[in-house]
Amino acid sequence: MQDTKRLKVLIAKPGLDGHDRGAKVVAQALKEAGMEVVYSGLHRTIDQIVNIAVQEDVDVIGLSIMTGAHIPITQKLFQKIREKGIDDKMVFVGGVIPSRDIPKLKELGVTGIFPGGTPLTETIHFLQSTVKKG
Amino acid sequence: MELVKKVLQGDERSAARLISMIEEGLDEGYEAVSLLFPYTGKAHIIGVTGAPGAGKSTIIDKLAVGYGRQRRKVGVIAVDPTSSKGGGAFLGDRVRMRAAEKEEGIFIRSMAHRGFPGGIAKATIGAAIVLDGLGKEAILIESVGAGQTEIQISMICDSVITVLTSDYGDEMQLMKAGLIEIGDIVVMNKMDKPGAMEAAEDIAHYFASRKDKPWQIPVLTMEARKGEGVERLMTILDLHHKYMEGDIEGKSTKKEKMKQLVLALFKEEAWSSIMKKIQGKAAFEEIMQKVQDGKIDPYKAVRMALQYALPKE
Repeated sequence: MQDTKRLKVLIAKPGLDGHDRGAKVVAQALKEAGMEVVYSGLHRTIDQIVNIAVQEDVDVIGLSIMTGAHIPITQKLFQKIREKGIDDKMVFVGGVIPSRDIPKLKELGVTGIFPGGTPLTETIHFLQSTVKKG
Repeated sequence: MELVKKVLQGDERSAARLISMIEEGLDEGYEAVSLLFPYTGKAHIIGVTGAPGAGKSTIIDKLAVGYGRQRRKVGVIAVDPTSSKGGGAFLGDRVRMRAAEKEEGIFIRSMAHRGFPGGIAKATIGAAIVLDGLGKEAILIESVGAGQTEIQISMICDSVITVLTSDYGDEMQLMKAGLIEIGDIVVMNKMDKPGAMEAAEDIAHYFASRKDKPWQIPVLTMEARKGEGVERLMTILDLHHKYMEGDIEGKSTKKEKMKQLVLALFKEEAWSSIMKKIQGKAAFEEIMQKVQDGKIDPYKAVRMALQYALPKE
């Protein structure tokens, strides 16, 4: 009766940022790589994103941020997922991320950082090899 | 079991995890369903089916808000198709359920159908049981939306809404077996579109002439995006729920549905356990090779495979 476990990924757009072409391209690529991708839609608050992650029981939360507010947003996300007791989820961030901010994001707990222009295959490979299954 | 207790206490995280376990087909998940089952059966399970773009998600969004106003707790299960290439899925129904998301106590779960036939996933009924155990009073299920063959959704729902728009085709489409047969309520949505009124009248005539008894299928006009027709739909859903719970015909329909559901699940499990047994075995691969090379016809291949998998005494 046992079926194969499939990676479930939430692609979320937090905050004011109104550009989701990139997020949709990533979502499509992850789908084609065999993952089940939940898309949040635009303008989500962190509370909403965490709520979706709980109900959908995703393995991974991916934030797409183009506004430059990636550090405060990520900080708030980690605070919330700890509160909700789902800090076992892996978090990755994509969008407009200057390289000087990467160490800070890692320190906050982000596992993968994929600035605009990262080949999609790299993101896919990273998720497939990093997320613990089951 | 700890997980079951937590679900019954209303813990969302446990419910979400349990639904995943059912999706993965884990024994532990099925055992939990068995433990939950005696506490369930109170919720009104409502299916929404219809072509892609007909407005299924929007109708669910509005219904959820309407029920929220009546202080009824709502669960939503939105099923989307699994890609035949690679097995992934894009689950995007939540994007159109944002008003519903704001309702107190609502639980929305997206789900890929993973190849199960009939517009739902194998885990959809399990998820409905979990949401019932979680205390949801109305459970709204959105089917994949492939149209005419979504029979399975009616097996797991008390009431099914078929959503059409004015471009549904013509009477020929209605006369074909399928779409219309599985619905208890027909909605003509997007009444702002040209030709919608004529289409609604045609459909109403069609159903009036059928004289389905004792439940006469009602045809409702809606402009769901603006919320028009939602209250009437809620009233009719309540009537249909009463009919299913209280009427002799309704009760026997419900029993028949359960039987059909078990047969559908059994078919799925039987097929996958047979496949596990024969896949990769030399004799089976040989049959496949022969049919792929055009040496035997497909029916012959099936009969040979069946003889190999389940030899007759």
